[in-house]
Amino acid sequence: MALLELKNLHVALEDGTEIVKGVDLRVDTNEVHAIMGPNGSGKSTLAYAIAGHPAYEITEGQILLDGADVTEAGADERAQQGLFLAFQYPYAIPGVTVTSFLRSAINAIRKARAGGVDDPVPVPEFRTELFAQMERLKVSRELASRYLNDGFSGGEKKRVEILQMAMLKPRVAVLDETDSGLDIDALKIVAGGVKELVGPSMGALVITHYQRILNYIQPNFVHVFVDGQIVEEGGPELAQELEKSGYAKWEKEKVA
Amino acid sequence: MPRARLANAAAAAAYEALPLPTTRDEAWRFTDLKDFDPSSFGTRPAAAAVTNVPQLLDLDVAGLATVTESGITVDRAPEGVVFEPLSPDHQRLYELVGWNEKFAAHNAAVWEHGLLVHVPKGHVLRQPLYVRLHNSAENGSLFFRLLVIAEEESRFTVIEEYASARPDLPAYTNAVAELYVEQAAKLEYVSIQNLSRETWHFGTHHARVERDAELDWVAGGFGSKRGKIRIQNDLNGPGATSRVTGAYFADGSQHLDYDTFQEHIAPSTESDFAFKGALRETARAVWRGMIRVEPDAQKTNAYQENRNLLLSPDAHADSIPGLEIMANDVRCTHGATLGRVDEEQLFYLMSRGLTRSEAERLIVRGFFQDVLDRIELEPVREALGAALEARIPQT
Repeated sequence: MALLELKNLHVALEDGTEIVKGVDLRVDTNEVHAIMGPNGSGKSTLAYAIAGHPAYEITEGQILLDGADVTEAGADERAQQGLFLAFQYPYAIPGVTVTSFLRSAINAIRKARAGGVDDPVPVPEFRTELFAQMERLKVSRELASRYLNDGFSGGEKKRVEILQMAMLKPRVAVLDETDSGLDIDALKIVAGGVKELVGPSMGALVITHYQRILNYIQPNFVHVFVDGQIVEEGGPELAQELEKSGYAKWEKEKVA
Repeated sequence: MPRARLANAAAAAAYEALPLPTTRDEAWRFTDLKDFDPSSFGTRPAAAAVTNVPQLLDLDVAGLATVTESGITVDRAPEGVVFEPLSPDHQRLYELVGWNEKFAAHNAAVWEHGLLVHVPKGHVLRQPLYVRLHNSAENGSLFFRLLVIAEEESRFTVIEEYASARPDLPAYTNAVAELYVEQAAKLEYVSIQNLSRETWHFGTHHARVERDAELDWVAGGFGSKRGKIRIQNDLNGPGATSRVTGAYFADGSQHLDYDTFQEHIAPSTESDFAFKGALRETARAVWRGMIRVEPDAQKTNAYQENRNLLLSPDAHADSIPGLEIMANDVRCTHGATLGRVDEEQLFYLMSRGLTRSEAERLIVRGFFQDVLDRIELEPVREALGAALEARIPQT
């Protein structure tokens, strides 16, 4: 049973325009999958639809998490069941510190998993874990008491996304263009953070335009995504090939 | 005739002569009283026998008084200060709030139960003085009058909390506060209103702050049906400062109205008013702020802001800031904003496992954080924060 399984997934906008046109994909533990595609191919729509954004309608197909059908589930339920989306453009929540937000999120997940009964994480345990993860991801201590993403630089936002992932310990992580806007040092840290988490209890789906991040997170599988569909699949060598020749080959096919 | 009887009679005449305000009066443009008839509420009802009226605050206090329709009881008073029922003959009455306005006049005409807080020179109270106001009489009215005299260099806190015996109690409450903050004194004044959804509530609160004195004021608005709270601070001596922090939450068909007036009379004075509110369902809020700088009040520093967060498409807020500046060397700033809870923010939080209502609570808590941070008294800050969050229903 796959951690995340997409079966013939079709996604449309509220006005009916179809963006994702039938995607089949299985992500398992210990696996890193890369979805690579040009701008405008529908990659971010796919990421949002997997996470349960209400503006994207699943018109056909299914999303399964650990075998459970979550196609109709809300974003909160999917997260409670172990899905995590690292946002390309994380939102600011003024007045809510990173620390208090993380504690709220962890407690919300614990409550859902305890069948709706409050089961808050003990504060000392939470703090120890938070400081250890911040250290590992080279997130400055000062950031913990700042308001979430409020006035953060692009690099700080991305690191805090990975910090959230490390704290929430998902089963499957979808990373939407996490590499964009990162300098090489930040990219190494972020990629290292992802790599460490992928293992017997987690798999990852890395969505990207560029091959760059894949130098640091070696994918097991590469899926080329053009115009809402997976047009080719292969191993890590496919990413290398894309770096050289780009997406022209498939985009031409589309025209023809 | 004794002073008290004369005042009552003059106020009663003024009350009869003044028409009930309508939306044609500028100050009442957004607050319609057409369904309100003050005379339909009994003026001297007996309080119902009620125990455990819900309270937001839980405090260790130096003094405690309870006011109901039947009277005022002083349950505990600290040594060395006056904390007692207010005599209608007190010399300092009516100086700040007289009877030139309909609801102030109504209070002056018929009030019976009041509280006097008089703290002598240099006296410092570490724990707050707390007065609970409970209305419980069906279709009854409650008139309350507070007189606070903070003598030179005294420091203390007065907290009042308004609550109703039942959440749907139909009633009318009318409160007046006159606060004198004398030279170099510091008064913290907290007024929290959590009356029933069917209580018409009117408040007229006026403070005068003298040389180098400091007034720190918190207004919390949660309950009531409709009405108006007027807050006036006179900065009457050089170096006087006042800070007023307002936080309110209305839902259902509630309508809250704050009318604030920062009156700079003396030079080198400072006032800082910040009001934030969240509104759900078809609730409405009106905030009208006026900064007036008199010709002698050079070097005034005045600030006012009102920010509203709308949690439902049909909630509505009106902010009317105002400046009237007659001196030339002053700094006056104001701001007003209206925001809505952003669906993308909600999605972001929900994608981390928070339910929709948990996500809304977090956004609301964040919205109020900066005004809560202004509140020095921790139990008040905590209680207000919790009360604001609790207004988002759990799904």
